[in-house]
Amino acid sequence: MTVTRSRYLGVLVTAALLVAGFLWWRAATPENGLRSRAGTVPRRGGQLVASLRTDPRSFNRYVARDFTTEALTTLTHDRLVRINRATFALEPRLAERWESSEDGRTHTVHLRHGLSWSDGTPFTSADVVFSFEAVFDRRTESLLASSLIVAAQPMRATAPDADTVVISFAGPSGPGVRLLDNLPILPRHKLQAALAGGTFAEAWDTRTPPGDLAGMGPFVLREYQPGQRLVLDRNPHYWRHAEDGTALPYLDRVVLEIVPDQNAELLRLQARAIDTTQDALRPEDFVTARRSEQQGVLKMVELGVALDADAFWFCLKPEAKKKDPRFAFVQKPQFRQAISHAVDREEFAQTVYLSEAVPVWGPITSGNRQWFDPNVPRYPPDLDKARALLKGLGLEDRDGNGVVEDAAGTEARFAVITQRGVTSYERGTTVLRDRAAKIGIALDIVPLEFGAMIQKMLASDYDAIYMKPIMTDLDPAASMDLWLSSGSGHFWNLEQTTPATEWEKRIDTLMLEQAAATDDRRRHELFNDVQRVLAENLPVLYFAAPRMYAAHSTRVINVMPSVLRPPILWNADLLAVNGPGADSSSASAEATADAPSSH
Amino acid sequence: MTAFLIRRLLFAIVLVVFAASAALLLTRLAPGDVTSQLGPGATRAEIAATRARFALDRGLVAQWTEWAGRAVRFDLGESFLYNRPVAPLVRAAAVNTAALAVVALVTATLLGLALGVVTGSRHDAVAAIVRVLSLVSISIPPLLASLLLAFIAARTGWLPVGGMSSVNASDMSWPAWLSDLAWHLPLPVLALALPLAATFERLQSQSLAEALHQPFVRAALARGVAPSGLILRHAWRVSLRAICGVYGVAIGALLSGSFVVEYVTAWPGLGRLMYEALRARDIYLVAGCAAMGSFFLAIGTLAGDLLLAAADPRVREAEPA
Repeated sequence: MTVTRSRYLGVLVTAALLVAGFLWWRAATPENGLRSRAGTVPRRGGQLVASLRTDPRSFNRYVARDFTTEALTTLTHDRLVRINRATFALEPRLAERWESSEDGRTHTVHLRHGLSWSDGTPFTSADVVFSFEAVFDRRTESLLASSLIVAAQPMRATAPDADTVVISFAGPSGPGVRLLDNLPILPRHKLQAALAGGTFAEAWDTRTPPGDLAGMGPFVLREYQPGQRLVLDRNPHYWRHAEDGTALPYLDRVVLEIVPDQNAELLRLQARAIDTTQDALRPEDFVTARRSEQQGVLKMVELGVALDADAFWFCLKPEAKKKDPRFAFVQKPQFRQAISHAVDREEFAQTVYLSEAVPVWGPITSGNRQWFDPNVPRYPPDLDKARALLKGLGLEDRDGNGVVEDAAGTEARFAVITQRGVTSYERGTTVLRDRAAKIGIALDIVPLEFGAMIQKMLASDYDAIYMKPIMTDLDPAASMDLWLSSGSGHFWNLEQTTPATEWEKRIDTLMLEQAAATDDRRRHELFNDVQRVLAENLPVLYFAAPRMYAAHSTRVINVMPSVLRPPILWNADLLAVNGPGADSSSASAEATADAPSSH
Repeated sequence: MTAFLIRRLLFAIVLVVFAASAALLLTRLAPGDVTSQLGPGATRAEIAATRARFALDRGLVAQWTEWAGRAVRFDLGESFLYNRPVAPLVRAAAVNTAALAVVALVTATLLGLALGVVTGSRHDAVAAIVRVLSLVSISIPPLLASLLLAFIAARTGWLPVGGMSSVNASDMSWPAWLSDLAWHLPLPVLALALPLAATFERLQSQSLAEALHQPFVRAALARGVAPSGLILRHAWRVSLRAICGVYGVAIGALLSGSFVVEYVTAWPGLGRLMYEALRARDIYLVAGCAAMGSFFLAIGTLAGDLLLAAADPRVREAEPA
């Protein structure tokens, strides 16, 4: 018995030693090159590991709208011009310069000379013309096409020579050349056959061997391991150089790890397994991230006030609500103004976003510095005024049950659908419900899966919704689907054949004029009017916009954080790391991040 | 035995067809569909095209018939999320899940049985501690267990926080790659195996304690057989019947537990794939994952039955040839 027990004990100890030895050996092996080394001067070399939440749907941005495909496109492709995500200024990219005609309809774009695709093929104006053809090809059904429509007509591109492209608009456009930021330029020599054969929409799906892809971006796809990661190597033909002449990008490699769970993503960041996350941090992660920052593990950067705020709106589609007796008062602006008066936005920001938010009164937050109007009508917290507004509509608590009703006994009780599992929505709807109850409006919160919620929204089959609609662009003229009553993003009353209200008709007129105006000052005047009309009629109530923070490992330098996604990777060609792979011989290089020049 | 195997194979086929069809129909009937992934800004034309692509514009029966007709030729349709055929996606994920599940099952079995023998044959402080640890392990849900283990890994740096391989895995030689895979296994394996090992420990402990009171064991003791031999050669083998009886179910539990463990630890397996597919209402991917999951379950049940037959002569003898 003793001998047997000793033998078992020996086996167990040996097994434990083997496991411990393996773990020690693995822990001692440099794995990802993520250990920090001091220094702030960017040097060539090294790899950066970022996280993404999902796999890409395609390698072809023209037909896939998911964020992973968009992020991948940012790394592998370039555009004629780009809106700098940090300054919001327009920057030349593949276009070196351009001239616009006086009527704003014709733009002559001069391409940088001598550029090459990542496979070494020369880049010419034919590629630009091809990209326009592909995006507007009916068989492609490109998701980007609508963002390149001016005066209801697609842009036209012609190439008088190899380095020049003439882009024509059907009418004047307020955003003008800025719209070209929406179009990544694709290689004609790789995709022409697919376009001609009508298979462009299927081209460059995720089964495409990386060797068959080519781009003008700072990186090229080297490997895609589904469910695990995308590995990108430096594009040897990338066109951009830093001020000191260093060929960009600084990084040798970018690895995009696919981490579906956001909790695990933060843990990986804290464990230095990744350098940055795909998105901004959640408010509930701030405390943990700040602690890690104090320990020197990571660095938090403020991105600014979010461009999008939580919104609450009622279904205002008359066709869907004509038999609903509540619609008689819901459609009145005074009803929605009463709710707006009932909510204390300062308290809302503190409770829902743990004080990391600012109150807002319209869809354009102070994060959008160019278009934010601080003078839109506001509704200070005032319960008496709210009750008076309801009384003016004939809504009073006649039966003493705490809920107001009209003369016919119809109670102001509504089901509010919101997305399940989003903590800020859960907190937001709770605050809203409590504040609305104080003026006799009963809100029953119904969390749904995202898909179910969107389906109800598109079918106008709901009382009210609480969620965060996402603006597709900083420039309001690029979000016409939201502003126009006929728009697919006019979410409180989708795709109207004729404007349902006078104020919507007014907004239609103002926005069409604003989108066509080329004078910047006039555009701002018009859009301030739009914001004012919207705030007076309150089809949507906005309460608070969070302050956004992102986090990255301390070894990443040259970070220019942006409130737009992806907050850090958008300028990947300038990002650098202090770690294995960085060339110490170039330590004297005085390359600066924010003012690169082209060669 | 051949007839038994044929019966089990038929059962497996029925199970796979039923599970996949049920998954497809339930996904179709659940509120929302894959078009919600297009987002609020999608145009009506885009939504209609997507619905047509996934046959969501057709009746339930018509969609199922079309899908089943293709499925018999191993064409499981297209995935919306991945924009590629479902079959290779499911195959690749199933291999990863199988690797994880096999290691977790072996770990749980070895750990659970060994500790069950200890607690079933002893009544000292060690046995009491193991019993408490088992109860704790059974009580912790897989989500919490995986997050807890990931947290420990992040704090200590002893193990990778998640994933199946390191970022430089593609540059590694085969031995290095295998070592890297082994380095990434402990976290998800422990998250999956600990509750299972605890279940095995409890079952083994009780059945061994019962077996030790059987007349044939007492007779062996009277014949002078040493206590260790008594436990290992006589009582333990008989007590295994309880474990073998739940082995098939345990494999099912492994699969259901792997949903959340794979998601949290970013293990590119079937559970994670199915979870993502369900969230997106990616109808054919859900059906494909359900088919593969039920196939695993059928294999697990078969393995459990075969083990039971091997462990208990009465089962073997009762089975007609």
